[in-house]
Amino acid sequence: MYAQTWKGRFRTVHPAALVLYGLIAWFIAAFLIYPNLNIYYQIFFKDGVFSLEAVEKLLSSGRAMRSLYNSFLLAVSLVVTVNAVGITLVLFTEYFAIKGAKLLRFGYYTTLIYSGVVLVSGYKFVYGENGFVTKLLAGWFPKMDTSWFHGYGAVLFVMTFACTSNHVLFLGNAMRKIDYQTIEAARNMGASTFYIFRRVVLPVLKPTLFALTILIFLTGLAATSAPLILGGVEFQTITPMILTFSKSMTSRDLAALLALILGLATLILLTVMIRLERGGHFMSVSKVKSELVKQRIASRLGNAVAHTLAYGLFLIYMIPVVLIVVFSFTDAHSIATATLRPGSFTLDNYALVFSSMTAFKPYLVSIAYAAAASVAVVALALAASRILHKYKNKWATALEYALLIPWMLPATLIAIGLIVTFNEPRAILGNLVLTGTVWMLLIGYVIVHIPFTLRMVKASFFSLDPNLEDAARSLGARTFYTFRKVLLPIILPSTMAVLALNFNNTLADYDLTVFLYHPLYQPLGIVIKNSTDAQALADTRALTLVYSVILMVMSAITLYFVYGKSRKG
Amino acid sequence: MITFRDLQIHFDSFHAVKDLNLRIEEGEFFTFLGPSGCGKTTILRSLAGFIAPSGGSILLKNRDITHVPIEHRGIGMVFQNYALFPTMNVYENIAFGMRVNKAGKAEIDREVRDIARKVDLQEEQLFKKVSELSGGQQQRVAIARALVLKPSILALDEPLSNLDAKLRVQLRHELKQLQQQFGITTIYVTHDQEEALTLSNRIAVFNSGNLEQVGTPQEIYNHSRTEFVCNFIGDINRIEPEMIAGSRLREKVDPGRAAYIRNEKVSMHPLPGVDAVQLRGTVIEREFYGLYSKYVLRMAAGGLLKTIEQESGQAPRRVGEEAWVYMRTGDIMQF
Repeated sequence: MYAQTWKGRFRTVHPAALVLYGLIAWFIAAFLIYPNLNIYYQIFFKDGVFSLEAVEKLLSSGRAMRSLYNSFLLAVSLVVTVNAVGITLVLFTEYFAIKGAKLLRFGYYTTLIYSGVVLVSGYKFVYGENGFVTKLLAGWFPKMDTSWFHGYGAVLFVMTFACTSNHVLFLGNAMRKIDYQTIEAARNMGASTFYIFRRVVLPVLKPTLFALTILIFLTGLAATSAPLILGGVEFQTITPMILTFSKSMTSRDLAALLALILGLATLILLTVMIRLERGGHFMSVSKVKSELVKQRIASRLGNAVAHTLAYGLFLIYMIPVVLIVVFSFTDAHSIATATLRPGSFTLDNYALVFSSMTAFKPYLVSIAYAAAASVAVVALALAASRILHKYKNKWATALEYALLIPWMLPATLIAIGLIVTFNEPRAILGNLVLTGTVWMLLIGYVIVHIPFTLRMVKASFFSLDPNLEDAARSLGARTFYTFRKVLLPIILPSTMAVLALNFNNTLADYDLTVFLYHPLYQPLGIVIKNSTDAQALADTRALTLVYSVILMVMSAITLYFVYGKSRKG
Repeated sequence: MITFRDLQIHFDSFHAVKDLNLRIEEGEFFTFLGPSGCGKTTILRSLAGFIAPSGGSILLKNRDITHVPIEHRGIGMVFQNYALFPTMNVYENIAFGMRVNKAGKAEIDREVRDIARKVDLQEEQLFKKVSELSGGQQQRVAIARALVLKPSILALDEPLSNLDAKLRVQLRHELKQLQQQFGITTIYVTHDQEEALTLSNRIAVFNSGNLEQVGTPQEIYNHSRTEFVCNFIGDINRIEPEMIAGSRLREKVDPGRAAYIRNEKVSMHPLPGVDAVQLRGTVIEREFYGLYSKYVLRMAAGGLLKTIEQESGQAPRRVGEEAWVYMRTGDIMQF
């Protein structure tokens, strides 16, 4: 309907659709734009007058400045270590012929089902003062300091192995897409295995590596659970510092300023990433692509070193997972002392989780939040994608940009924005105060999941054959009927997959939860983190191990249904 | 039956259709033919109601339907890729329009089964997923889905373009049979001249948004009115001015205007008739097609001529061999 006027278009819109558009506009204004603008006001205006007091406070706070330095140090270090480990993993599973690659892949993929606060608490359980591995090492080296696992080194170690998921997924995928004929062509011209890797394979992977590097940097910068649990007093980074400052009314402006700095760094780096994404992809010109054949390492020594390294890494990935599963079936004494005896195995921990309401409550809270947030965000993304699919004008573009705002902002900044904005009555919310209510966390979860969900659902919409809608209209179907009966059933499987992934990611979230949760309704992430505190009871730790195992199982099932099944199909 | 009156369609500053005046008669198999981007699909979509014209009007049985909503035009549409709903089975696809129009269950069942029978869809195929059907069966479902609502016009937008050559020929035949069976006015859009020539009662040839010629396939082929139509339809020889100047052609053919003759009108055997002329040339290329061979000759007077010769079992002409070619001046088209 190219020649239709604006007035004409407006008249053809269903009243219910207008209400929906209004609701989306309100949501964007109230939760995506207003809090993020208000944060500037809170930092730079005191009693309505422009002030740089927060900046002065920051510059004069040794702790805050130290945390900034630590965050950048961690981010830079992670870029080196995660890329080194991540590339190595992909080479061992996808490029070089390493014996038992399938088993190795299984180990390297564990971070997909075991991440965030669950992973950090798991590593602390294994390598901490009373950890199994620490005790084992102390047996061999009696003079060893058993409280060795904290500070910069511990945080870097844990985060290095926690952040390789994107490498195994995306770099692995990019590696599999390499056209083997280009490798054969290079070999035909006399190039060696490593020369081919350096000059033919690596350049093709460069755009993916750049994007991953930026993501690693951002992850390091916004690290929450690892420095909080393992950093100790000597290595605190921005986010834990923001958390500390946000708890006091007098230092909330400082928390907001730190969050803003984090946000600015994120914005700059994501802009760089978008540029790289636009310009850096290599299009294969092969008419018929051939599948990558794994390369044999010709040198015997090189082959032995590669195999040793591959299995060494496998052990690092597998040890915490195996020990968490094993110890989840032991009694509190075994868990507290990190010892395994034949008589210590029991199912009591599992029985307790499923029989005691107190023990089960964190699950219930997390499941309720995760379900509500994932359904809400999918509904919002469906409505928005439909608008973006249907209308191609400046309003649609503005809608898309507005909904992608959270992608550019770290969760911490979003949380602080919500806290400082909705801790007093606001007209846009009908003078309701949200801070301290159960709704805060739900809204936070919805906001942080919008960009990913929108991108995925929008992609499903845009892959629809436009003729389907025309066909339905020519058969007399109205817009909503066409959406319900023709379009929705087609995009439903992929939408459900996005919903499942969101559910999964929300279930044990810590980074956002820690800012917004209601003290009476503690979700799993908070409970798991609390169990890593020195004063936590052995029973609580036992429950945490069960929580972790069940979370791993749930994640594995979700990922199987989302990725495994479709790959097989 | 359908009249396009001064129809114009603009997309911003781009004029997709320029002042179209055309009448299509009831029961006709009418084809819009032209290269990509000539405006043929745009006209079809404006007839169906998907595109609002920028000017002019569209009349259906003398009723102005220019601004009538899509669902009230009574036009059944078959899309290029059929646009069958992938989450519905064959039955549900065909029944879709009737369900939208709130027809009763029994009526829907009767009509769906009836139309399925008419388009030669088996009973057991009705409950299959559309993805389980062959290309031909999918086409029949798309046609059944359009016809079940008893439209007055069937509009087909390049329905054979995504199929392989053999299937295209087979489905073309089926399509023609169905149209004759239902007697419905059919508008067919294609860029394939062979499809247009074999299927249509009449053809409209478009170029850059302009209507070049309307006529029967024979008129379009043998008496092309414009140089574009002449070149677009079939393989053709351009007779170069030096060829005209250096032969008896100059007595009948104006060397100042472009002259064309179809390949099959050039013969390597003497032709009877007073207007026959002969020209000398050398065979420079031969392509064997099974039933016939195509020869390219470099003419002594200058230029090239193509001709086709039925395979009769005799020894073919060899490359480098001198030969005479014959043509009638009456077969030459000048623009």
